Amino acid sequence: MGTMGLALPWKARISSTPRERGKRVEPSEHFAGGPSPAAVDALSEDAALAAACRSGDLRAYERLYTVHGARMKNLARNVLGNPMDAEDAVQETFLKVQRSIASFRGQSSFVTWTYRILINTCYDARRSRLRKKEVANDDSEQTPGLEPRAPGAHPSLRMALERALAKLTKHQRDVFLLYEVEGFRHAEIAGMLEMTETASKNTLFQAKKNLRLMLEPPRSSAAEVR
Amino acid sequence: MNVTCNDRDRIFEDGTPAEWAALEAHTAFCPLCAEEVRAWKSLSVAAKELRDYSDSPSFWPRIERVLAKEAARNAPRAERKGWFSFLLDLSPAWQTALAGALVLILTLSAGRIYLRRPFHGGGTVDPSLLKSQALKEVESAETAYERAIDKLAAEAKPHLESPATPLLANYQEKLLLLDSAIAELRVQAGMNPSNAQLRYQLLAMYQEKQQTLEEVLEAKRQ
Repeated sequence: MGTMGLALPWKARISSTPRERGKRVEPSEHFAGGPSPAAVDALSEDAALAAACRSGDLRAYERLYTVHGARMKNLARNVLGNPMDAEDAVQETFLKVQRSIASFRGQSSFVTWTYRILINTCYDARRSRLRKKEVANDDSEQTPGLEPRAPGAHPSLRMALERALAKLTKHQRDVFLLYEVEGFRHAEIAGMLEMTETASKNTLFQAKKNLRLMLEPPRSSAAEVR
Repeated sequence: MNVTCNDRDRIFEDGTPAEWAALEAHTAFCPLCAEEVRAWKSLSVAAKELRDYSDSPSFWPRIERVLAKEAARNAPRAERKGWFSFLLDLSPAWQTALAGALVLILTLSAGRIYLRRPFHGGGTVDPSLLKSQALKEVESAETAYERAIDKLAAEAKPHLESPATPLLANYQEKLLLLDSAIAELRVQAGMNPSNAQLRYQLLAMYQEKQQTLEEVLEAKRQ
């Protein structure tokens, strides 16, 4: 295990860029002294957005879309595997938010609540797709659908990662996507997936361990690269 | 702060910034940890490849149309609700007074009905009958559900008996945990059969088990 590296398809290794830990610190874990002014602003903006959506103001939904739409669609695409299903899931999520906003009591943040609905909607869609047996001959689980993704720097790495992600458990995949891809904090993920922060951290750890095992090259090829 | 190779996994899982800094310092002297840290971080870098925040201009108008349609459909319902909205405009004191008056009227009406009820001698009705009936229904539904899951489990059994991949081994472990939790909940439910909370927990466990088994079968198909 000691000389393990990710099996990168272009036979190179990802540079060891330090994680931008400062940009995503867990306030509840490492800092005391109450929320920062930025966090307070975010909370009040979240409450204002919820109130505006509750009043039926479509511009509030547009604001929600402007701030979170792209991220919601990206998350849905990574869970569902293709952009068309992802758009349907995001649209369905907005509709569900509109229908049930009256019952939102603010136990969690509005945005967290919205993402929770999105994740549930994605898994409902996945289940219904499985039931229809569309998955049997459907490569869309792993490959992009009709609408191509914006070209990334390393398309083959993306595909390898997508294949490996598909083999993780649902929770491991969700936590990895929410934390590493979408940049949410463990406290937020805990709210979205209805788990504790500790469970979220542990699940991410397990997910990354499993991904590493799956993406690890055979020892001989690792030696070649070196 | 000093860290050793043994601290590495714990820091990966839940390290503070100070511990990460200490681990980075440790990697200068430990090639094994240096490789591990590099590989760990490279997963985070690789994850960025799954980000595609490109805009599709026609998407919001599509959502907006659906939301507007839904709002228009709900408008007549909201108007009907408007009849009661005057209650919300009243001061809390008036709201309390109105609620009190309503309770008084209901109490008087109930008392009047009770006093004037026809007398039935003889046959007594077991007050727990409905409850017992409901319980019976829950239990029979549970049994049917359990049987269905058992069928699913039988289908997944060959894949789990000698798991071919770490993923299947994980599933097997999870299913063992779920089975033990289900057994424990069933014992508790047996001692306290009318506890709806326990029934909900049991149902959640069954659902989790069902989903896990489905994932096993799905994983095998892939």
